[in-house]
Amino acid sequence: MKKVSISFTLNGDKVTAEVPPTWTLLNTLREYFELTGPKEGCGAGECGACTVIVNGKAVNSCIYPIPEVQGKSVTTIEGIAGKDGTLHPLQKAFIENNGVQCGFCTSGMIMAAKALLDHNPDPTEDEIRTGIAGNLCRCTGYVQIVESIEKAGEMIKQEK
Amino acid sequence: MSNLLYVGKGTPRTIEIDKVTGRAIYINDLKLPGMLYGKILYSNYSHARIKRIDASKAETLPGVRAVLTGHNIPDVRVGFLKDQTVLKKDIVRQFRDEVAAVAAISPEIAEDALNLIEVEYEELPAVFDPIEAMKEDAPLVHEVDARGKPIRTNILPLPWKFYAGDIEQGRKDSAHVVKDTVSTTWVNQCCMGTSGCVAEFDMNNDLTFHSQTNVIFLGKQRIMEYLSSIGMRGRNVRVINPVVGGSFGTKLDTDIYEFICILLALRTRKPVKILFSREEEFRALPPRQPAVFTIEQGCDKEGRLTFRKAEAILDNGSYTSWGATTPSVMVMPMSSLYRVPNVSFEATCVYTNNIYCQAMRGYGNPQATFAVESSMDTLAEEAGIDPAEFRLINRNQSGDVTPMRLKITSCGLEDCINSVKQKLNWTEKRGKRKGKGVGMGSLIHVAGGARVYKSDGHGMIVKVDQNGHIDVLDSGTDQGQGSPTIISQMVAETLGFRPEDVSLTLGDTGLCLWDAGTHASRHTFMAGNAAVRACEKVKQQILELAVENIPKVVKSGFRRKKRNDPDFVEPDLDYTLISKPEYLDIKDRMVFPKSDPEHPFFRVEVSQIIRDALHVGTGESKVVMAEAFYDPPTEMLDREMKGNLSCTYAFGTTGIEVEVDEKTGEVKILQLFAAHDVGKAINPILVKGQIYGAAYIGAGYGLTEEMKLENGRVMNPNFLDYKMLTAKDVVPIEPIVIEPGDEDGPFGAKGIGEPGLVPTAPAIANAIYDAIGVRIKSLPITPEKILAALKEKKK
Amino acid sequence: MVDYDYKKPKSLKEVFGLLKEYGPKATLIAGGTDVMINIRNRELSPEILISLQGLKDFCYIRKNNGYHIGALTTHRVLEQSDMVRAELSALYDAASQVGSVQIRNVATVGGNICTAAPSADTAGPLLALDATVVLEGPNGRRRVPIADFFTGPSETVRKGNEVLIEFDIPEEPGRFGSAYWKHSRRKAMDLPLLGISVGLTLSESQEISNARIGLTVAAPVPIRAHKAEEFLKGKRLGDDVLAEAGKIASSEASPRDSLRGKAWYRREMIEVFVPRMAKLAVERIRSEQKGRSR
Repeated sequence: MKKVSISFTLNGDKVTAEVPPTWTLLNTLREYFELTGPKEGCGAGECGACTVIVNGKAVNSCIYPIPEVQGKSVTTIEGIAGKDGTLHPLQKAFIENNGVQCGFCTSGMIMAAKALLDHNPDPTEDEIRTGIAGNLCRCTGYVQIVESIEKAGEMIKQEK
Repeated sequence: MSNLLYVGKGTPRTIEIDKVTGRAIYINDLKLPGMLYGKILYSNYSHARIKRIDASKAETLPGVRAVLTGHNIPDVRVGFLKDQTVLKKDIVRQFRDEVAAVAAISPEIAEDALNLIEVEYEELPAVFDPIEAMKEDAPLVHEVDARGKPIRTNILPLPWKFYAGDIEQGRKDSAHVVKDTVSTTWVNQCCMGTSGCVAEFDMNNDLTFHSQTNVIFLGKQRIMEYLSSIGMRGRNVRVINPVVGGSFGTKLDTDIYEFICILLALRTRKPVKILFSREEEFRALPPRQPAVFTIEQGCDKEGRLTFRKAEAILDNGSYTSWGATTPSVMVMPMSSLYRVPNVSFEATCVYTNNIYCQAMRGYGNPQATFAVESSMDTLAEEAGIDPAEFRLINRNQSGDVTPMRLKITSCGLEDCINSVKQKLNWTEKRGKRKGKGVGMGSLIHVAGGARVYKSDGHGMIVKVDQNGHIDVLDSGTDQGQGSPTIISQMVAETLGFRPEDVSLTLGDTGLCLWDAGTHASRHTFMAGNAAVRACEKVKQQILELAVENIPKVVKSGFRRKKRNDPDFVEPDLDYTLISKPEYLDIKDRMVFPKSDPEHPFFRVEVSQIIRDALHVGTGESKVVMAEAFYDPPTEMLDREMKGNLSCTYAFGTTGIEVEVDEKTGEVKILQLFAAHDVGKAINPILVKGQIYGAAYIGAGYGLTEEMKLENGRVMNPNFLDYKMLTAKDVVPIEPIVIEPGDEDGPFGAKGIGEPGLVPTAPAIANAIYDAIGVRIKSLPITPEKILAALKEKKK
Repeated sequence: MVDYDYKKPKSLKEVFGLLKEYGPKATLIAGGTDVMINIRNRELSPEILISLQGLKDFCYIRKNNGYHIGALTTHRVLEQSDMVRAELSALYDAASQVGSVQIRNVATVGGNICTAAPSADTAGPLLALDATVVLEGPNGRRRVPIADFFTGPSETVRKGNEVLIEFDIPEEPGRFGSAYWKHSRRKAMDLPLLGISVGLTLSESQEISNARIGLTVAAPVPIRAHKAEEFLKGKRLGDDVLAEAGKIASSEASPRDSLRGKAWYRREMIEVFVPRMAKLAVERIRSEQKGRSR
């Protein structure tokens, strides 16, 4: 199968992937770049475990064709901590408020939350739930996830 | 108890930091050099004879390394009743029957190879209803049993019969009697991480099996038994858990895909990974056991229960896994939820050509409690007693011995019912019938282990190194419930360290002692008790070393001072203060004499003591480690299904307020209070997390979730059509943590993993009845069912 | 194994050229939320995907002699438009409830209509708003009323060599309001088991001067409930009138039993939600009036 060359920015770095054009962004991130954060929970855009941010917007990478990433900026869970390893407030908040249990949905959940907070730093509970409605979680019942996102929002505001 | 430093606090899960950075390695992420990918070919029919399998084209596809069919693997039976083979070559009995398997260098090539395997079937008559399947002329799902003896019925030979007391006497003593039929259907566990494993043999034929199993030791035994039966007796098996993406009961049996993976690894001599797609997870993974109950209860004129008689019919599906054993748990609510003197419970499991079932969080308790708690409300109404009052009248109490011989020690049920009643404003809201209503349901569940197997033990190894760092080897499986954090809290508390000093390794049969399994909500209780015992031994070792070493440390310090300053006078210290281990204690990594905790010379770091004990310079160095194997004083169920199989029991009550749109049948949960007697919350934030999560699954069980099977085929094998609740489907849950303590639990703690789920669905059904006067007796309670029932009522 | 080429032409002319070259072996892809799934489950096996995302200026919402919405406008953009929310409310209702934020960020309204599932969320509102579909092919442009666009489940009048480029929605004179109800089992990530769209114009004297009712998942294609619309014209608002309209609309529908829901329930819900959405449309007219008079 022939490959295509797709250049984009991944977690702040300029990269090029040489992959079949049939690959999705998720395949490319996991297999080509060996990033294990974004997960395949369903492969059909129905669970959100694969959520990453492309040009500032949360998308399901499992149904995002890799050729469409050309020239864009992609952020995964691996790219949100500081270069010195300081956790992003969302990562801190999820740990401190039990927003993580088995953790499988967490990478996608945090990216969906980040996309929300980046545009809406002061969301209501309903806006938070809308922002993560595309991320299924079986462990938490969502309550402590919402609390984690609220706390992260407060932390971000304080940092500014 | 009141001076606890770590137990009872909301210690964060810092130990699990890799889960928020994307670095945690789940089975999906595990890659070994040279690893191949396995895929499974499933049946095209619900019941058929296989006339021919031709895998030749698949074998020659470039990139394929092995193709297995029933014809080229040993013909050995597996499973709880040994009623299936790993690959089917004669008869398929379900669409999810595994007919062939391929290992290839990529999942895509493996998939392509499956499409090249030709299978010719001859369709056979099938049966999809257990009632139909029980009839004499029903097509037989199995014709012979594990030993080759002919079978003449689809009814399984399982001994689920429980009798206590005298039902007929109970009937005579009754002023009121009600009878109901209720039913529950298949629901999927919906772990966000799908099933999968990686198997690898070394050249000695010893197997390393990366598996998400929650029963690493029982799983290992089953695999060793299987290897033995295929001519590999005596080979070793090491089972290792990766990070597990949720369990909810799915990982207690050894599933067929695991045997397939092992066979592919054996055939190819390479690591092989099998990973289910979400569609496979819905189509092929055994779901929760459905059941139809007929339940009859009576009470006297004071409202005391006089008898409870129930029969259950279980659609066993085509083969047998843990679904068929759910009656052994159903007997618990049937006989012991509330005080009821005379009980009869019979369960019949019937083979059909539907999907077969395994465990799911609650393991039969949610199904049976739906029956019991629906019936409690109908009986309360019949007797003219308020349903909350009715439950209080019949509540379990400490000191009870139930008809099943369960010994109730700690019991917070009264507090649970009352707190829920109060939070809901029960008396004000009940009985209005204007579209809003309140309802409740309670539960009893094992919370101090569960002697399902002869050993209900849990082994823990604790060692402290020369840096004062603690390594704990815990024989259980981390499913995400927070075990590493709470064990580190209990270890820190017992040993006198901090939780961040503790590293845990769970889920490795090569390193850990033995555990019956992380199931039955037992891990906190069992591992906690083992940890406390192991830590007490470790602490004793440290204190004994301290007795030896502190004087040496102190005196050598004085000698140094004297060398540097000849005028230095050695202080006259009372060394008797530290002359016996019982005079010493450890707090915050320091050993000190109890009689003078701030003693200027006798407070020494534990790490120093251990260092000095290790680096002695003679042949007498010592290390600090201890193990404890905790197996509680409980008994197995006898032939009558009676026995105190757990050390203590969890109680809880869920109270719900609903609003029903009588035009659309839609139900909105306005409030949900979940009161749970957890003995003691080791970590209140994590306990609440368990309650929230379980209650949400319970709400889905009650209102939206169902696997739709048509003629044996799963019609909704995806998240679009299988309605698991999203974050927008708000269920306002308030957990109420009741802590009466428990004399047997570590720091008084009991299990909480499953209880949160159990009473949710019946509480919803009861609240709907209060709101609109119709009782829906089958789950899930969909808007269609409500609307149809309302129309029926109008007639 | 799935194998296809992926091309991203920069102009419609290039698109037409590729469509001519590959014929039925080509599939057009916009956001991809339908196409990628159909490829994964083997319902589609194209040899080439022709991405429309390379076309400039097909993502817009303009008001200029009516409303013009570019086919590549994502549901998220529609959702975040104050103008759509205020003036094309039914379309806002639909766009904001499609799937999830992740889906809405990528899925386009053009794609939603071209896939033409009977459950397409934006179909009913476009019917209630009396939209016109603008198609462009190698031989020029043509305009098709949305009511004539769908010919069967997943079938439309769009020819294989045509591209849907725009939706035109007339600006209603006077007091106009619209609303869409997505009846589903969950509040997100769901397809409707029934969709009710209502567009109403009220006269000064609170009579219904015009009504359009769109029903989805109520027939093999999205339909207008013409008899119910006729019934409403000229009537004064009232519960009885609306209830009767609901009954008439229900009788015009031909829902079926499907995995997702039963026909009888769908019929019942038409009766319930036509009045409810009419009321919501009226509420919106009234609050808009209030807003104006400040």
